[in-house]
Amino acid sequence: MLRAALPLLGLPLAGAGATEEPTQEQGSPGEPPPGLALFRWQWHEVEAPYLVALWILVASLAKIVFHLSRKVTSLVPESCLLILLGLALGGIVLAVAKKAEYQLEPGTFFLFLLPPIVLDSGYFMPSRLFFDNLGAILTYAVVGTLWNAFTTGAALWGLQQAGLVAPRVQAGLLDFLLFGSLISAVDPVAVLAVFEEVHVNETLFIIVFGESLLNDAVTVVLYKVCNSFVEMGSANVQATDYLKGVASLFVVSLGGAAVGLVFAFLLALTTRFTKRVRIIEPLLVFLLAYAAYLTAEMASLSAILAVTMCGLGCKKYVEANISHKSRTAVKYTMKTLASCAETVIFMLLGISAVDSSKWAWDSGLVLGTLFFILFFRALGVVLQTWVLNQFRLVPLDKIDQVVMSYGGLRGAVAFALVILLDRTKVPAKDYFVATTIVVVFFTVIVQGLTIKPLVKWLKVKRSEHHKPTLNQELHEHTFDHILAAVEDVVGHHGYHYWRDRWEQFDKKYLSQLLMRRSAYRIRDQIWDVYYRLNIRDAISFVDQGGHVLSSTGLTLPSMPSRNSVAETSVTNLLRESGSGACLDLQVIDTVRSGRDREDAAMHHLLCGGLYKPRRRYKASCSRHFISEDAQERQDKEVFQQNMKRRLESFKSTKHNICFTKSKPRPRKAGRKKKDGVANTEATNGKPRDLGFHDTAAVILTVESEEEEDSDSSETEKEDDEGIIFVARATSEVLQEGKISGSLEVCPSPRIIPPSPTCAEKELPWKSGQGDLAVYVSSETTKIVPVDMQTGWNQSISSLESLASPPCTQAPTMTRLPPRPRAPEEPQAPLKLPLSSDPHSCFAFPPSLAKAGRSRSESSADIPRQQELQPLMGHEDHTHLSPGTANSHWCIHFTKGGRL
Amino acid sequence: MEGEKESVRMRVFRAGSCQQLFYRYQDLAPQLVPLDYTSCPDVKVPYELIGSMPELKDNPFRQRIAQVFSEDGDGHMTLDNFLDMFSVMSEMAPRDLKAYYAFKIYDFNNDDYICAWDLEQTVTKLTRGELSAEEVSLICEKVLDEADGDHDGRLSLEDFQNMILRAPDFLRFTDSVKFPPFFHL
Repeated sequence: MLRAALPLLGLPLAGAGATEEPTQEQGSPGEPPPGLALFRWQWHEVEAPYLVALWILVASLAKIVFHLSRKVTSLVPESCLLILLGLALGGIVLAVAKKAEYQLEPGTFFLFLLPPIVLDSGYFMPSRLFFDNLGAILTYAVVGTLWNAFTTGAALWGLQQAGLVAPRVQAGLLDFLLFGSLISAVDPVAVLAVFEEVHVNETLFIIVFGESLLNDAVTVVLYKVCNSFVEMGSANVQATDYLKGVASLFVVSLGGAAVGLVFAFLLALTTRFTKRVRIIEPLLVFLLAYAAYLTAEMASLSAILAVTMCGLGCKKYVEANISHKSRTAVKYTMKTLASCAETVIFMLLGISAVDSSKWAWDSGLVLGTLFFILFFRALGVVLQTWVLNQFRLVPLDKIDQVVMSYGGLRGAVAFALVILLDRTKVPAKDYFVATTIVVVFFTVIVQGLTIKPLVKWLKVKRSEHHKPTLNQELHEHTFDHILAAVEDVVGHHGYHYWRDRWEQFDKKYLSQLLMRRSAYRIRDQIWDVYYRLNIRDAISFVDQGGHVLSSTGLTLPSMPSRNSVAETSVTNLLRESGSGACLDLQVIDTVRSGRDREDAAMHHLLCGGLYKPRRRYKASCSRHFISEDAQERQDKEVFQQNMKRRLESFKSTKHNICFTKSKPRPRKAGRKKKDGVANTEATNGKPRDLGFHDTAAVILTVESEEEEDSDSSETEKEDDEGIIFVARATSEVLQEGKISGSLEVCPSPRIIPPSPTCAEKELPWKSGQGDLAVYVSSETTKIVPVDMQTGWNQSISSLESLASPPCTQAPTMTRLPPRPRAPEEPQAPLKLPLSSDPHSCFAFPPSLAKAGRSRSESSADIPRQQELQPLMGHEDHTHLSPGTANSHWCIHFTKGGRL
Repeated sequence: MEGEKESVRMRVFRAGSCQQLFYRYQDLAPQLVPLDYTSCPDVKVPYELIGSMPELKDNPFRQRIAQVFSEDGDGHMTLDNFLDMFSVMSEMAPRDLKAYYAFKIYDFNNDDYICAWDLEQTVTKLTRGELSAEEVSLICEKVLDEADGDHDGRLSLEDFQNMILRAPDFLRFTDSVKFPPFFHL
């Protein structure tokens, strides 16, 4: 077994190393030995998938290598590097095998490589921007492409008539038109690859990119029409054929769009019913989008248009329907597939170019084509822009036009189309192939290389990333309505009018039909933005708080004295024993609480810096709206999964304490409340309150993941944000553990300041329940018994079991990521005996009756624990279903006291 | 502001689209508005007529717009008001003027400040009453917080304009699509 495995391991290495040939050779002479073979090559059985995997691997490795140097990738677009790599690899293959292998096959390209890229771009297309500029995009895509095709074809034909093209290029006007039609289309893959790195402003990007997507229909039609004309022979073409050609333009484009929309509808509708089978949601998205592509291809409609429309159309509903986890999965899978396909395309393009048997060079044709496509593109852009600017309020200025004409990159689509030509019908195919390759290489490499400096030099408005402010969102909506109203009054049915109509229709019928009811409610954009803003605020507060903290830390030399031996040792022990995340939180906590007690002024400072906003945040956290459903569980899963990772990254950051402190209470209270009341009152009582707590978590976590790919700084930020919630979840238990632990281990440092209450009275956060919670947490001594982690685990799971409806329970549990638990559970037995009670009582939140009892207990405790008083009083007031959280606190305290 | 408005109007209507608009205006209330407009300037199209247009019935801001642009704030529009409305909303109008009118539209209680109550109205209208009262007030709080430069709990025109300046994309929609072509007729 081992012997068989070793060579297998060696194989991919050999393959991935430099050439494909070794693997090929190893495989091919696999003549089966007679009799029973101990060891047998079965290369041919795995050849095809193996090669595919290897190619993708090579491409990915190459990508990694490129990105090792930031300098290179900032100067040279990745697509260029990949093409060059492809050239090199192709050269090696050619040298070794004496024949060109692994070329870009049109079939592979159109059926497998192109769809993911188009789907990705369609799905993540900024739809508002797209539709705002739809007029311009359509003009460029349709008129521009037609113009390019005909002028280029005709000009080349003229060139040939003038004798500048060698006579061995046997091509008539139709052949040249055919060639023009395939070479004229701006390629979405190339444009995307280059423009994504250039970061021009959104309008410019969407125009060029939208054009490249939408012109597919035109290209396909032109290509097919010309191709059939060429095959029929120009003599046989009748007038009706031209008419048919024009008609087919509409059929192909509208048909493609229609197919896409139908599938988008199906997709949205399907995802509405996946509540119980969340796991297939991403799959559905891909399957149906791919089905749209294949269907359109089958009916020889514009497949690119179909997928684009499918992605564009379904996104709103799908995003609302599927769980947040699935959303992330869709996003990442889509991006991965697209980037993978793109990489492979460019590399194969490079490899294909090496095959000299396929092409024949003619300088006149090549140079002429290069010149004409650049010239006519520029001319076309200028002419069309002039017309468009008559109708645009913000005209596309000269610089935009330069970038647009220069950004007309040709790519793999043209190459695949030219390969598809029939040599018997188009005798000049070889010349066309060569020309296409040169054009593609020229546009991708030369233009791709220079467009960045050009954009910089021309000072093209770059895109600026700013998050939406609530005002903006609000006013944008308002203005949409206002403009629509004005258009109505004047009796002009313009853009705003139709958008307004559409929105009405969408709201009244489509959304009702395609979104699940729970999702339908949250779809409010304003609320969405509000959410995001809140999160951002929270993050900035964390940052702020961190600074405050560190600066005050310097001024408090007495701090170390607070750390009793026991405390430090415990924390150290905990830190060493793994699960560093929680411990680190704890450590920071300790430091901070010590300071708190030391210095009233600092206390105030902290409160000013941290708590107030926190309160605001908390208030906003009335996450009413998801009524509880399977999503909640999803969220918790995301939570737990992220928690470990986040917390670990947390270690290095010094400042997030305030957050962890300030959050736990409200969260806990909410959860508890939910536990107690959820199942009974969910339908009539306060269903909104229940759901909302989780919504927040959901959105946050997801957002953080969404942002992660944008850039590193962003990631960090978002990570913080993730922490917030995670910490919230943990610290429920943290605090439980803390108190009991502190009382047990080191009762002495547990100072009750003589005048905390009066100081607190001045504190702004005193009035709010959330703040009180915070307050308590900050006052507690910070020792973490290890067992708190088990406690946490238990509490989470119990919360889950209580909060989530039983029907959906089973899948969750199975799907629960083992990761957060695995490292922590082993520790539990170490210290468990001391505080096994707290666990149980925490883990199984009691019924109302029990809560009531514990409340009475708590009231008994109040005099003893002065600091806690405000919390208890308030929480009891505020939460109708008595905070089991509080009661736990009290219970712990009493126990601790006795100990 | 008035002078500016006038000049805008001059620019907007220079090409005789005034005529077009007048016909439209006359169409709204054929029995009220005489075709010969030389001698009777004191005609108003009542808001009931404007607001009852089928296209407008779903628009949450129809009444507010009519109120803001009508002379005495009752929504009844004279031809002058009518023309004003379009000139302000046209692409020729400078951003400040647009902002000024946007501000007026938001300012439901006409106290020259956007206060929390105004915002609540706006948000409620925008969301078609689907958010609960607390949610609306939360959002309003946030909006005020975001844009309130002088921390007086309400937005002055200055705050409003500052906010617009800060958000470069604001009013983009009025930029990206040109207003009805009849301004160029």
